[in-house]
Amino acid sequence: MESALTPAAPPADLTQENLLEIYYFLRLTRSLEEQLVNLYRQGKVIGGLYRSLGQEGESVATSYALRPGDILSPLIRNLGSMLVKGAQPVEVLRQYMAKTSSPTAGREMNIHFNDLDKGFLGQISHLGDMVPVMAGIALTFKMRVERRVGMVYVGDGAMSTGAFHEGVNFAAVQKLPLVVVVENNGYAFSTPVHKQTRVASLADKGRSYGIASYTVDGNDVLAVYGLARQLIEAARSGEGTQMLEVVTYRRKGHAEHDDQRYQSEEELALWEGNDPIDRYVSRIGDAGWATPDDLERIDSRIEREISEAVGTAESDPLPEGESAIGGVFA
Amino acid sequence: MAEVTYLEALRQGLWEELERDENVFMLGEDIGEYGGAFKVTEGFLEKFGAGRIIDTPISEAAIVGAAAGAAHMGMRPIAEMQFIDFISCAYDMLTNYVATARYRAGLATPIVVRGPSGGYVRGGPFHSQMPEAAFFHTPGLKLVCPATARDAKGLIKSAVRDDDPVIYFEHKFLYRRIKEDLPDDEEILTPIGKARVAREGSDLTIITWSAMVWKCLDAAEELASSDGASVEVLDLRSLIPMDDAAILGSVRKTNRVLIVHEDTRTGGIAGEITSRINEGAFEWLDAPVRRVTAHDTPIPYAPTLEDYVLPGADDVVEAARLLLAY
Amino acid sequence: MARVDVIMPQMGESIAEGTVARWMKQVGDEVKRDEPILEISTDKVDAEIPSPTSGTIIEIRVSEGETVEVQTIIAVIETDGTAVTAAVTDQPPPPAPEAETAAPEPAAPSEPAMAPPPPPPPQPPPPTTPSPAAAPGTMEERLRVKSTPLVRKIAAEHQVDLTGIEGTGYAGRVTKKDILGFIESRGQAVTVRTADIPSPALPTEVSHPSVQAWQGDRVEPMSRIRKLTADHMITSMRTSAHVTTFYEIDYTRVSEIRKANKEEYAARGARLTFLSFIAKAVTDNLRKHPILNASVSGQSIIYRHEINLGIAVALDWGLIVPVVRNADELSLIGLSKAISDLAERARTKRLSPDEVQNGTFTITNPGTFGSYAGTPIINQPQVAILGVGAIEKRPKVVTLDDGQDVIAIRTMGLVSLSFDHRVVDGADGDRFLSGIKNDLERFPEGSL
Repeated sequence: MESALTPAAPPADLTQENLLEIYYFLRLTRSLEEQLVNLYRQGKVIGGLYRSLGQEGESVATSYALRPGDILSPLIRNLGSMLVKGAQPVEVLRQYMAKTSSPTAGREMNIHFNDLDKGFLGQISHLGDMVPVMAGIALTFKMRVERRVGMVYVGDGAMSTGAFHEGVNFAAVQKLPLVVVVENNGYAFSTPVHKQTRVASLADKGRSYGIASYTVDGNDVLAVYGLARQLIEAARSGEGTQMLEVVTYRRKGHAEHDDQRYQSEEELALWEGNDPIDRYVSRIGDAGWATPDDLERIDSRIEREISEAVGTAESDPLPEGESAIGGVFA
Repeated sequence: MAEVTYLEALRQGLWEELERDENVFMLGEDIGEYGGAFKVTEGFLEKFGAGRIIDTPISEAAIVGAAAGAAHMGMRPIAEMQFIDFISCAYDMLTNYVATARYRAGLATPIVVRGPSGGYVRGGPFHSQMPEAAFFHTPGLKLVCPATARDAKGLIKSAVRDDDPVIYFEHKFLYRRIKEDLPDDEEILTPIGKARVAREGSDLTIITWSAMVWKCLDAAEELASSDGASVEVLDLRSLIPMDDAAILGSVRKTNRVLIVHEDTRTGGIAGEITSRINEGAFEWLDAPVRRVTAHDTPIPYAPTLEDYVLPGADDVVEAARLLLAY
Repeated sequence: MARVDVIMPQMGESIAEGTVARWMKQVGDEVKRDEPILEISTDKVDAEIPSPTSGTIIEIRVSEGETVEVQTIIAVIETDGTAVTAAVTDQPPPPAPEAETAAPEPAAPSEPAMAPPPPPPPQPPPPTTPSPAAAPGTMEERLRVKSTPLVRKIAAEHQVDLTGIEGTGYAGRVTKKDILGFIESRGQAVTVRTADIPSPALPTEVSHPSVQAWQGDRVEPMSRIRKLTADHMITSMRTSAHVTTFYEIDYTRVSEIRKANKEEYAARGARLTFLSFIAKAVTDNLRKHPILNASVSGQSIIYRHEINLGIAVALDWGLIVPVVRNADELSLIGLSKAISDLAERARTKRLSPDEVQNGTFTITNPGTFGSYAGTPIINQPQVAILGVGAIEKRPKVVTLDDGQDVIAIRTMGLVSLSFDHRVVDGADGDRFLSGIKNDLERFPEGSL
């Protein structure tokens, strides 16, 4: 149960193809959000917009470490995790634009949607509530003796809730195959971590439940991947619930309408220089695992895909008012 | 036929469902080795094993949340609240997560949350509640509340098989007081959403449920013998969905309605039923709809206080007489 | 030292509550076993309650005028105490709820020394006095004051003007029963779009309209017996379709028989009154006309096996109807004795509750006050009542054996029979009365 920031080591089980795919998801996440900002400013995204700028690395890496059949439950800044699990950009666009064709037919917003076959469960806004629910999913895996793993994301804020406590404790007692990813991104809305807890490391909370808990540099994609992979496989092999704290930084406000007055320019500049995608590009380039051409080809593909998706989503109608009725019960 | 208590009938229902479907399992506090605070699950651990009879920490939110997660995966969890008073600790999970899951995300959440409810047992403020109205208001939850041993069994079995989340309010005052002959060779499945005429009558309809059914039957008997009044007692059995047809049918027949519930008055379910009658049968009323409920206080401990706060058969008789003379 | 509870007794099977009428002893008084300590009033019977033990009354829990359920502790007597202790009894703590065992039986509530507060709402219905602004205004306003949604619907369907119907409901409201009765009485078939509007059963809670008292008036709350009588009379008028028929009876023969046998009867301890003869004729004819000895129950008629004859007795404080059980099994002298015994004990409040219950037919005798004839109200749930008018010598046309009509001085009187036309047809009533007339005018001496 070490909690040091471990140095990034190239994971042995990743092929060049995997590394390029990780790049694809990192860039797709960021580009899709940038597109959403435009749509938001055009009045086409109807509700709030929540960016994960600076956190794409840990989202994509932790999700990429899962296997088919595993199920994760994201938070609002885990668009990357969902894309890795198969969520489609057009679905995300339709959700944000409240289209009748969206996965929830206009009933829910942003990335609050799920596809259990693909392996992601939709979140609700109440922080911490997904922990007991994911514990229940992991409980099912255990009861059925399936070698599957659940992953649930919480932030520094969610860890203050009762649901988090009850869920992690329950999972720990039951030795459930659940990996709790703690995103320490500095703020819960405007509240800094030091106003959220007295513990020095959020992983200390995991230790208090008697579960294996680690901390990793959340902006080092391959380090996150490597450690996440270890913990996921430990959970899969019956070692019980695991906790992984990823230390990162939320470079945008809580939402697009947040002026970030509580974040200093120095702090923002510091973390801009520690951008997970930039670091990843350097890393795979320096190591000779990818060429600039490879990346450019991927960038163009993403641009095309997003452009098509926006065109498709924009032309879809809003749902009819009366379609709000029904579907409350089976 | 064998005479069984309400509690034993509930126990049988749970047992049969666990035997019938391996996806059914139970989780809750002290339900395994100890057999449950009221011994509802005594012997279950030995029969079904710790994998399906799960003792949990004191964590109602986790119990309900985990049940929901498992239900998404095709399981049929039965979550026990040791006392239904503690269901409020899982209020967020039930109302925000469970109740909305199908509507917002198309997620099936076939869970049963059950627990000993209600007063008349000198349990004080935190072991006597009947918090039905708190969940009645939330779309997406079904609520059932059996009054008889037969329905205790029939409703738990139907609840387990239902594809929606069901809160099953079992009344602890009835646990060992109600006994009934139940057939050994018949599968008892009480339909959810169907009321039961507990007593036929023509002058006045009393709409009620759970333990109050018995108080109202006592009152009806008293009204028959001393007033010659013919009182119909309608046992709703399910609060969500509510059997509007049975309610309105009885109103059209007797033209006078008294609604009786154990829960407190303000914001109680009687108000909603009254509105439905106004909307659906106003022209059939020969008197205003009245209600007998608990007073708007927590449930106190002292017998004198509890008996004062909770409605009794005498309160029902008195209100009925006012209506009969209207 | 022991404490003995005095409880409100159950004075009759159907009695659920009793009222403390008067405490004859107070806290601190010594009492002997079986010494009367209070008077209670239940239904129509007043009774003195004797002390269950000798000792000192240390607590009175129910004050005068208060009504409590039977079996309620109303006082406590300390068997050998002379000191009056505080009126607080020690209660054992109620058992704590034990989760692992059955939910505990409710502990016996410790009765507070003071009267318990009244039960929780229902509040009485809101006052129906129209607001000044809405005072006797439009038809619509009047209807709203006086009827119900159902009644207005029925009124619309049958083109009935509600203002023409007398309401018997709360504050004079026209009820479903009122309007259905009205429609039926004007001979129109009632077709209400319901599967089943049943005939309303007997409502016993009766509200009497409020009346403004004027300055100088004296307002007294009704006594229990008065309240019961008032409710009962209204209920009866609402329940039964009253019809009254009159017969004139020539009592001359009965009068002669009575005169001849009076002393002999007195020697045998019986008062041979006209009423005795009438009672005998009634019981004999009830056996021949069972529909007069019946009750209506919902859609059924109950023909009573027993003939239990009620005799209305007027008392200073109200009306009471003691009952001669199985009156048809008694001879004339037996009837005479039973009637005078019951009447006497009614006057001295010594009737047992059973002696005012289960009557099947009633005779009332306003003639003793000089009334020529009355239209009595049926004593529910019976279906008929016989009123006996004044018996006196009157001129009467008599046809002699030779066919000649002469005016003679005869002992005459009217009897009136009010019967429930729901089940008793006019012919039934008249046949019954003519049977009585015949029996009395040809009273066989052998019956004595």
